Amino acid sequence: MIKTRALGRRFGATVAVEDLSLNIKKGEVFGLLGPNGAGKTTTVRMLCGLISLSSGEAYIDGLDVKDPEQRLRIRGMIGLLPESPGLYESLSAYRNLDFYAKLYGCDPKCRKERIKELLQALELWDRRDQPVAGFSKGMKQKIAIARALVHEPKLLFLDEPTSGLDPSASVTVRNYLLDLKKEGRTIFLNTHNLDEAERLCDRIAVLNTRLLAMGRPNELAQDYFGRHLLVQVKEQETLDLSRFNDIPGLVKVTLGSEGLCFTLDDPQLRAPEVVRRLIREGAEVQQVYESRKSLEDVYLRIIGGEENASR
Amino acid sequence: MRRTRPDKVWTIALKEFSEFRRNRYIVYSLILMPLIMTTILPMVYLLPVASFASDPPDEPMDLGIETIEIVYGGTVQNGYYNRTLFIGVTLGNIVALSCRFVDCEMNYCLLRNSDISDSSLSECVVDRCNLDNVSRFNVSLKDSRVLGEPTEAESTLLLLLDAQMLFFTLIPTILPTIIASYTLVGEKLNRSLEPLLATPTSDLEILTGKVVSILLPSMLVTWICFVPFVIIVNLIAGPVLDYLPLPDLTWLVVVFLLGPLFCLVSILGNVIISSRVNDVRSAQQLGSLVVLPIVGFFAVALIGVISLTLPYLLAFALVMVCVDIILFYLATRIFGREEILVRWR
Ligand SMILES: Nc1ncnc2c1ncn2[C@@H]1O[C@H](COP(=O)(O)OP(=O)(O)OP(=O)(O)O)[C@@H](O)[C@H]1O
Ligand SMILES: [Mg+2]
Repeated sequence: MIKTRALGRRFGATVAVEDLSLNIKKGEVFGLLGPNGAGKTTTVRMLCGLISLSSGEAYIDGLDVKDPEQRLRIRGMIGLLPESPGLYESLSAYRNLDFYAKLYGCDPKCRKERIKELLQALELWDRRDQPVAGFSKGMKQKIAIARALVHEPKLLFLDEPTSGLDPSASVTVRNYLLDLKKEGRTIFLNTHNLDEAERLCDRIAVLNTRLLAMGRPNELAQDYFGRHLLVQVKEQETLDLSRFNDIPGLVKVTLGSEGLCFTLDDPQLRAPEVVRRLIREGAEVQQVYESRKSLEDVYLRIIGGEENASR
Repeated sequence: MRRTRPDKVWTIALKEFSEFRRNRYIVYSLILMPLIMTTILPMVYLLPVASFASDPPDEPMDLGIETIEIVYGGTVQNGYYNRTLFIGVTLGNIVALSCRFVDCEMNYCLLRNSDISDSSLSECVVDRCNLDNVSRFNVSLKDSRVLGEPTEAESTLLLLLDAQMLFFTLIPTILPTIIASYTLVGEKLNRSLEPLLATPTSDLEILTGKVVSILLPSMLVTWICFVPFVIIVNLIAGPVLDYLPLPDLTWLVVVFLLGPLFCLVSILGNVIISSRVNDVRSAQQLGSLVVLPIVGFFAVALIGVISLTLPYLLAFALVMVCVDIILFYLATRIFGREEILVRWR
């Protein structure tokens, strides 16, 4: 669905994005993470054919974003939620959506139904005739999301969809995005919210001008932290750790604040053996679990690693 | 280049209209400013002049002249003449009493109790004469009656009327600065252009939609206001002038040709200005500079350097067409996606 090769964009002397190659499949939810100024918005704008590329190439559903004719067709099949909602404040929610539906060329009848459907799904149907100026930030954001969806785009670009939303509004939006995912739409998501990325995305990429990492959220965690089995035993200080070195698949074993930490090739497969050996050593096992590093840990490690490297 | 699709342009223009309706500054300026300029101001200007107008004399005085001699053609220099009829004569340095002059040219003459018609006078003293269709240069008139010439009130009225052409070019120039400052700068501050640019609409369609949305109401208001203006002017000036001065061709050219051309200059100028400023007030201040060339043209015209006649107006219109074309080109350069997203800030 989205294919880029060595995508790059400069603004004068500033390099915003460099050497970005992506391949996003149809129906995939792809999350782009990165610190402020990493080039996420720039990337989305390039992919939507809003700004030109400085280098490389990009194709959306086989259409070249550099070609003016094809760009117009790309715009017809994508929906974009920009960083700021950018609604027409004096117009009603309904009028805002209706205007966009017309520009996308939806016919009058399906326009009406579609807008109703969207507003109902986002719990704003009751306020459809009120001017958007009186809406809260979250409500505006929802209208902006609905706007990106009026023409039922195959591909959706969302630039920080839940920024500024309260937790319950975030959940509404997130659930709605999950529904969209089920419908088989391809979603390209820029976000700072790692928890959200972890829940929604099939794959994520960490960008800081250059692509730092890409993969499924849990795979990334393994790549960066290895896989661990954490075991809590009574009087763990008395154990001689060197006696466990011959457990098959063990990388290392350490004693930390969370207890004994076994770094293993496959914690689930090796767990029974680890427990057996602990018991044989006379340890009283209280709890055994696989440690899951959150995406946040991964993210910080990736960004931190880059900062160290650049130092 | 792709074709501009009228339906997209119209969709954008309609959206703009719904926004204008909800902005009371725009609504007030669309209604009040033109209304004041086209109804109250003409009354203030024209009524006092019209009320002091006296009926022009239509009968010559009976001077009891009986000519007994005729001079036909040629030149007459120096001398005193009494009861003589001059036809087609060039006269200089003469003193005449109870004479008739037809089709003559007179320099440095003293004329008393005479009939003068279809002639021209310069550097003359005229006392108790009838003048009918006589052109005068440096002539002192005393107790005389001038026929076939507008009275002072009439010519003042006509001059004031000409001055009001300015309003009909100012209205379509000022309205866009007000509307554009709110909509274009507002749109920019609100960042509502980005989602619009992400739709399958071309830059030119968006630009045209915006231009149309400002051009239409501005011109419509101007044209609607022309109706009460014509009625008021005709009601006030008609009886004094003995004819209905409006509408005449010059005025139609101003209202229906120059007006829209100025309007377009103003809109495009404001599109360009809005891309560079970030608040409504500076947009209005800079935008009102667009008015200067127009006021300049009329100022020059009213001082009398040029006259507000058809050829001058058409020439000015031609200049404005060129300005419009240049500005439109500039506006299309500035109103591009890349330009808007990257450099408008
Ligand atoms: N119009 C512009 N002119 C100059 N530089 C720009 C422009 N737009 C973006 N940049 C620069 O490009 C870099 C990437 O910006 P971008 O907005 O893509 O970051 P982002 O990842 O979206 O950040 P955020 O998380 O804050 O939204 C930044 O260094 C920014 O200063
Ligand atoms: Mg951004």
